[in-house]
Amino acid sequence: MAPLKSLQQEYPDIDARFLHFCVSRGILSVEDFLIHDLNELIAFAEQDPDSEDLKKGILMILSYIDGQHQLWLNGLELLEDAEKNNLVISTGCDGIDFLLQGGLHEGQLTELVGSSSSGKTQVCLQAASNIAIKYTGTVMFLDSCNSFCAKHVANLISQLLTTRSKEVKEWGIERAMSKIMCQSVFDIFTLFHVLNQLDTIMRSEVKGKEGKMHLLIIDSVSSLITPILGGRGSNGHSLMTSAGFLLKKLANEHNLSVLVTNHTVGGERGISKPALGESWKSIPHVRLLLSRESGSSTRKVSVLKHPSLACGVSSNFELIS
Amino acid sequence: MALADWINADESAKDMLSRVLLERPLLLLPPLHRVPLRVGNVVEIVGPSPSAKTEVLIQAAISSILPKEWGGVHYGGLERLVIYIDLDCRFDVHRIAQSLKHRISEIQESTFLNEELFQACMRRFSYIRCYNSYELLAVLKTLQTRLQKETELNGLAAHLLMIDSIGAFYWVDRASKSLPLDGNNRKTLSLQSVAQTVVNEIRQLIQGQPMLVLVTKATIMGMGPLASNMKRTGTKWIPQDNSKENLNRRLEQYVYQEYMPSVWQLFVTHRIFLTTSDSKLGDVPVHVSQWLIPPLQVSDRFVVRDAGISIVT
Repeated sequence: MAPLKSLQQEYPDIDARFLHFCVSRGILSVEDFLIHDLNELIAFAEQDPDSEDLKKGILMILSYIDGQHQLWLNGLELLEDAEKNNLVISTGCDGIDFLLQGGLHEGQLTELVGSSSSGKTQVCLQAASNIAIKYTGTVMFLDSCNSFCAKHVANLISQLLTTRSKEVKEWGIERAMSKIMCQSVFDIFTLFHVLNQLDTIMRSEVKGKEGKMHLLIIDSVSSLITPILGGRGSNGHSLMTSAGFLLKKLANEHNLSVLVTNHTVGGERGISKPALGESWKSIPHVRLLLSRESGSSTRKVSVLKHPSLACGVSSNFELIS
Repeated sequence: MALADWINADESAKDMLSRVLLERPLLLLPPLHRVPLRVGNVVEIVGPSPSAKTEVLIQAAISSILPKEWGGVHYGGLERLVIYIDLDCRFDVHRIAQSLKHRISEIQESTFLNEELFQACMRRFSYIRCYNSYELLAVLKTLQTRLQKETELNGLAAHLLMIDSIGAFYWVDRASKSLPLDGNNRKTLSLQSVAQTVVNEIRQLIQGQPMLVLVTKATIMGMGPLASNMKRTGTKWIPQDNSKENLNRRLEQYVYQEYMPSVWQLFVTHRIFLTTSDSKLGDVPVHVSQWLIPPLQVSDRFVVRDAGISIVT
């Protein structure tokens, strides 16, 4: 946030006299003002000969602060907004769509947890292909472990397209492929950079325009975060939480569905558990556990966390090979 | 003269009853039903994620926004405003809408939903989300004015202030150690100063407008079997043993570590601990609740269904 000086142009009541008063109380920026007790500040202002002007200045800053938070909404407005802007997008895996009552919700962060070869990446690629075919918007795939394979995606799309005509099919594949963007990201700082860029781009785009982004995939988010955790300091956790909030902000503000994958690690008594620990648990809206019995092509998806479904509810699904 | 003053009643029984009922509304929703809660209390709902913490908030909110009586039907609500500050940024409005519809139709004993009543209730629910501590402080600093406006608009006062969840920015704030700044009396921004300000602001708010404060707190660290995490310093709490061993065996395994600054801990007047047990009722998991402040020897088991929370005996 801004230093108080920079507010001078917009708010005429914030004059040199007021700034001097604030500096004498140790307030140089809006943040300083935020952590100050207002009643105390007003009490000090009242001892001053120019108390009326100083109080006006305080009110001015308060009205500036009032514009610095998100908007208040009542339940009805919230519901209308969600129903108007947040679609449910189909992943193309019937079992998962069935479990999630239609598919991934825009505005939410969904996490797929599973051991190696449980089908996390495959679900991501299939969801990307299905959305690129069936919806007008685009898909962004952030790849941190070189799992994105264009040939495989083209193959998935060709199987998902129902047409028989070869020409139509080729056109369909080309059209869908052009809507999936892939970017390699190998460390958390690049992730922040890419996400901030996305935010800027989406902000500048006209709302309601065709070609809006529907889905942002990070495969896998855990391989970006795990290296920075550990050690004595809290910086790793701080970066992790910041990344989580940035993703949720993108999802909320641009009505985007975010899909991330997380691997599993050995927990107590040999039972494997999702990586990234307790603090990450409160980041995703939806947490799904993927598993597969050896030798079977049927996979199982079960709910670990969901805003309205009970934990443990599960269903089976099959992937396109 | 003094005698006459003494004999003259301060208030009629009716006045007193309405005052007492206002100050101490019955919030008999499980799992918060064990302890009498009144406005001015700060209740912390602690538990690992997921343990139905947000669900408890949603159900309390529904009881508050429902009217006492509407169209000749008794709903038993408080008909007061609810302020919901979402720091976790993953509130799903469909959940409260769904649960509210269930509750209304359950009481009406018909599947026909009275849309007008539903909308009136939803309007009493005020929501805001914050992406960082500064936004939270900005919200709290301007909430007083906001509350006055809302009260004028609805003709009703707020009764519940909810924060979900208070530890959301813990790691971010802990890492933001600012450099020593010029100006000898300048406060530095830290976990400590943010918590101090949050407590001050809420205290001033509930002085001006008496509200019950319900706060959730995720156990973001040190939640695990006793063996691990012993090195970390901090207050440790081990749930007390009681008669239902089976039920509490799971609780006992856990250590819950306090991580919020002491200024926040001292501000909390009530604390309830939630956890999810291994057992299931049908296909829904059974949650266990236990009061830590005040320490009660009983723990409750409850399940969450579409219509809300119900106690399992």
